[in-house]
Amino acid sequence: MTTPSLASLHGNRACALGAIAAGCRFFAGYPITPSSEIAEQMSREMPRANGVFVQMEDEISSLAAVIGASLGGAKAMTATSGPGFSLMQENLGYAAMTETPCVIVNVMRGGPSTGMPTRPSQADIMQARWGTHGDHPVIVVAPASVQEIYDETIRAFNLAEEFRTPVILLYDEVIAHLLESVVLPQRHTVATITRKWATGDETAFLPYAETEDGVPVMARPGGGHRIHVTGLTHTQDGFPTQKPDLAARATQRLLDKIEFNRDRIERVETFDTEDAEIVIVAIGIVARAARRAAQDLRAAGIRAGLFRPITLWPFPEAALREATAKARRVLVPEMNAGQLALEVERILEPDKVARLNRIDGEPIGPGDIVRRIRETAA
Amino acid sequence: MTVHAHRAEIRLAGSGGQGLITGMHILFRALAIEGRRAAQSQSYEPTSRGGFCYSDLVVSDESGDYPLATGLDMVAALSQVGLERSLPLIRPGALLIVDERLVPEPPASGFDLHVLPIAARAVEVGSPRIANVVALGALAHLGRLVSEEMLEEAVRLETPPKFADLNLAAVRQGWGLVGARVGVRCLSASCPPMCIG
Repeated sequence: MTTPSLASLHGNRACALGAIAAGCRFFAGYPITPSSEIAEQMSREMPRANGVFVQMEDEISSLAAVIGASLGGAKAMTATSGPGFSLMQENLGYAAMTETPCVIVNVMRGGPSTGMPTRPSQADIMQARWGTHGDHPVIVVAPASVQEIYDETIRAFNLAEEFRTPVILLYDEVIAHLLESVVLPQRHTVATITRKWATGDETAFLPYAETEDGVPVMARPGGGHRIHVTGLTHTQDGFPTQKPDLAARATQRLLDKIEFNRDRIERVETFDTEDAEIVIVAIGIVARAARRAAQDLRAAGIRAGLFRPITLWPFPEAALREATAKARRVLVPEMNAGQLALEVERILEPDKVARLNRIDGEPIGPGDIVRRIRETAA
Repeated sequence: MTVHAHRAEIRLAGSGGQGLITGMHILFRALAIEGRRAAQSQSYEPTSRGGFCYSDLVVSDESGDYPLATGLDMVAALSQVGLERSLPLIRPGALLIVDERLVPEPPASGFDLHVLPIAARAVEVGSPRIANVVALGALAHLGRLVSEEMLEEAVRLETPPKFADLNLAAVRQGWGLVGARVGVRCLSASCPPMCIG
């Protein structure tokens, strides 16, 4: 009865199936390469799951619709690529400010602008963290295999619901279109989290109350608890304020609810880092290349290991320090001109960190990494 | 270039529209039936509607292994451009199958080359469009990738029922074009570990 089923899926399809398993019942989007198959799959699956699929007129309205659906009580998602993700930035901030749970998938492509639609890239690492204006909380997860896309999509929904925040699922075209063997659990065995609903006295209800875990409960639509939703800085009652002490408290709580819950949010994978003199820090398809490279280097007598932040933001700082404690060199290979490296250099001694970048639309392979490590060791 | 005993990289190369992705997916499915894990990748650009196109399968016992080709061990090419664009990625000594008509200029040396009448057999069987499946049959047999039985099972599972007989005839034709290659590691799970030809 609880036997998982083995399927061969490509990454984007795994994302759609993961979302449905997590309880997603609303999808609004504007299909864009290389994420289009997520919308395509959702257009078929949502009606079957008693959910709603809407093809919107653009990406601004797509995220707006998702926010509306989430406030209306549904678990909601959209999917896009770089150009559409740029258009979503304003509403991403709105979701963060109004503490509306939602999942935004960004299958990265080369940029800037429309860039190289079909080529892989990892150039939205910083945009995912800092793309919308203002001091805002965000969670970004970065899967590296088709199985992990499925699993992390479920986790993205759970994190969004638990912490009332937008969660971005960030991956590259290679794993989006890779076909791999995947273990799909039986639907009823998937652990899902749903937001806490307001109960009790309706007249005394504070929609943005300061709770112990920093995450306010949500008003169930039609349940009698009233809310005012605004992008303006607001107090616990949901109405705008510019009083310095109240404004500071409101913004600080937004940041703290992520910062103080890092242990529930962070997830990393380490591979052979215990004794590693060289640690490679990478995400997505590049992490797969890095793991192969680390094994090849070990076979050649060089103690190499891999540190892979599955939760990319908030960046797992303490885990990185621990994994690189014995390393004399840290290499950050990435398919952009240097973004992940900025964070690694901030956390570690910058002199210890070497970079490897490709911006030609080709994936970084194991050979590229082995060559770069031999270069930096020389 | 490091050679990995537990890993095999296989490519169907040719031009857009030849069914290379479908063909490779049949092999993926056949390996899956035998309990082997694999990753399939392919051309992803407008050339998938003409021009150079490929589909790769990386078979590896290691979960999370690098899923893209780094040095191809086995290639079946159904067009000259398919072969030429793949050449830089093919390991020296690799198994290389080419169609006698569609690839008029195969490499003179450096590979375990097999020039086969793939397209001609496809036409004999019933359609030039099933050259992909003929090539797959030859590749699977020569490369000792899966048993004929599993391959046929995968053809049944992965092709529309209407064309099942045609595709089965095609895969048998391809299988029959060649004998199993001697002296290479067998990928079939039904063989003992490290079976050498």
